[in-house]
Amino acid sequence: MADIDQVIRTVPPRADRDPASRRRPSNRSRLPAKLGRAALFALPGLLAYGLFVLVPIGMTAYYSLTNRNPFNPPTRFVGLRNYGELLGDPEFLKALGNTVIITAIVTVLANVGGLVIATLLDRPTKLYLALRGVFFTPVVLSSVVISVIWQAILTDDGLLNSLLRAVGVSDPPGWLSDPGIALYSIAWIITWQMLGFCVVVYLAGLQGVPRELREAASIDGAGPVERFRNVTWPMLAPALTINTVMLLITGFKAYDQIQVITNGGPGTGATATMAFQVVQTAFTGNRIGYSSAMAAVMLAVVATVSVIVLRVLQRREVEQ
Amino acid sequence: MRRSLVFGLVTLLSVTGCGVGAQQAGTQASGGKVELTFLVFETPNLDAAFWDAAIARASAKVPGVTIKKLVTPNVDRTGYAKQLDASGDLPDILQSVNPAGFAQAGKFAAFTDQELSGFIAPKAGAIDGKVYQLPYNTQVIPVVYYNKDAFEKAGITETPKTYQELLDVCAKLKAKDVTPFVLGGGGADTWADMYPLTGTVATDVYSRTPDWLSQRAAGKVKFTDPDFTKAVQKVADLAAKGYIDPAGLSRSYADTEQAFRDGKGAMYPMGSWFATSADNDKPGFEVGAFPWPSDDGSPVTPTFTGGGTSVSATAENVELAKKWALAFDEDKANNDAFVKADGSIPAIKGYTPPADMGPVYKATVDIYQQGMKDNSIVNAFSQETGDGSLPPGLADKAALAVQDLITGKKTAAQFGAYLDDQWAKATQ
Repeated sequence: MADIDQVIRTVPPRADRDPASRRRPSNRSRLPAKLGRAALFALPGLLAYGLFVLVPIGMTAYYSLTNRNPFNPPTRFVGLRNYGELLGDPEFLKALGNTVIITAIVTVLANVGGLVIATLLDRPTKLYLALRGVFFTPVVLSSVVISVIWQAILTDDGLLNSLLRAVGVSDPPGWLSDPGIALYSIAWIITWQMLGFCVVVYLAGLQGVPRELREAASIDGAGPVERFRNVTWPMLAPALTINTVMLLITGFKAYDQIQVITNGGPGTGATATMAFQVVQTAFTGNRIGYSSAMAAVMLAVVATVSVIVLRVLQRREVEQ
Repeated sequence: MRRSLVFGLVTLLSVTGCGVGAQQAGTQASGGKVELTFLVFETPNLDAAFWDAAIARASAKVPGVTIKKLVTPNVDRTGYAKQLDASGDLPDILQSVNPAGFAQAGKFAAFTDQELSGFIAPKAGAIDGKVYQLPYNTQVIPVVYYNKDAFEKAGITETPKTYQELLDVCAKLKAKDVTPFVLGGGGADTWADMYPLTGTVATDVYSRTPDWLSQRAAGKVKFTDPDFTKAVQKVADLAAKGYIDPAGLSRSYADTEQAFRDGKGAMYPMGSWFATSADNDKPGFEVGAFPWPSDDGSPVTPTFTGGGTSVSATAENVELAKKWALAFDEDKANNDAFVKADGSIPAIKGYTPPADMGPVYKATVDIYQQGMKDNSIVNAFSQETGDGSLPPGLADKAALAVQDLITGKKTAAQFGAYLDDQWAKATQ
């Protein structure tokens, strides 16, 4: 009973009985002011986002419905004609195919390689800490720098072929000059560049796996492979999601390496990607309207694939 | 709250207003001078110091102008100029940008006859009778530069005068395990693979029909016609016989030149600008030069005249920009510098190159002067500017298609059909 009295005594009085509370605005009445202040702080960011992202996207969508060519005015509205032309354009379809191949290779290789290396580096010694830095270095380097380095390695007179010749290979492959190989060389370069990113994300995931779980699995008689399959791999689901989505986006927007190393060649479109084709069509062919349609299709492809993959992988995370 | 928003907007507008004000003031440099932007490109021959000195000399002759130098990210200055134009930032003065497209769209200012009176070929590169790029120099494209030591070792005593003799030279070199032609075109330097085709088009097409591209524009001829196909087939045959190494297509322009210097091939079909490079930085062998030979040995000299500065029609002060452009291109010291650094053959009345030029440059100029004497000057395919030129962007497409030709992915007929198709797309 005494406890109940205590509770009653400690219940605060109703606000409307407190004269002081009538002078103070309630939390609810202060909400608009808070929102207004928040909006003010968000305004520069929103303006920048609108100006540099939303407006260009809107302009691209608009141009894609025109025949805009700065060297062949006037600009006329052509409806969906550009999109219709894209369906029968062998150069665009080739670029789309190349983009899919590069994206698939980069997504699989960088994920697998990143996971293997992360597993090897998941040790708390100084050597392994230093090696993590080494693997991450390509991620922070400019794509152009990386492209120049790999161009020096892969050209006919480059480092790789010089080594191959030194060990007796008289006719080494044309890594960048053979149309049948160059696309895979480009995919490899992008994979190499992204490997460090995957390693770091997987390492973070590995360090989030509770040691107790692995130890419990060991006590239950699970070997290293079973422990990885049943304990570690399920716990890496969020890391897999992040890496896969990032690699998909990187693969789909591949441009820098192609521009620097092959210029879309050797030949007509052997390594041209969608992003490369957009720029070439706009600034070499001067067909801004048509290239805008390409860009719009590219945006739709990247967004659709990213959303689908994200959903699938996030569902897997929940199931795990 | 409202007061906060109003304050925020006022602040934002003030900042924006200040920015605009500062930008407008930027065109009028201090001391009442007009600031003009000048787009240049850098190469190993034409480096930053070269451009800075040349700009300073021209600016000294035109008071009231301050030049802000802009540098292209690679040698494709025309492509970069298009990007700048698309974003509304076309420079006021532009060096060696192909005026095709810009001129027809009214983006470049035309030079008057009086302004062009100091040039040897004042109407070179004219578009509808008007000149939009100063015709300040001539280049022979291609000249076949060759390794005299490699020729001697293969038992070749004379340079080829006919195309069959050229094939014989190739066979002799190949028999000695020497790749006859060094060719490049890797990375952004795809253009560097064009020159054998520029040679065969000159000898097999332009020598008979000098205005062939004008006729193509009029729909009278096509790239699939027999004479053009024959010119293309010659290049395909050179590759098929192993006289051109397809692996070289991965080499950048600089790497290609280095490959020739390193003796990785005996002949280097290149523009006349290589001459001073060979003189200034001598390879470990003696370099000779001969023109691309025709079937019957009759002289054909493919050249390009133009390549100077252009002026934007929307420049802050067009007349002042044109005055500065003329001062830049007609300055004797500037032309001496161009000759020494880039092997140019100035097309300025009364100009004589420095007396101390090297042997390869002199051999190159001899080829040009012989061409003038023989009346055998024709256009250099894919290098043309003006009315009889490829539509904007098609030269790049042609250079990529040459790679297909060399790697065997396209036949001569397919190459012609591809160019016809691209022509249609470029002009629609």
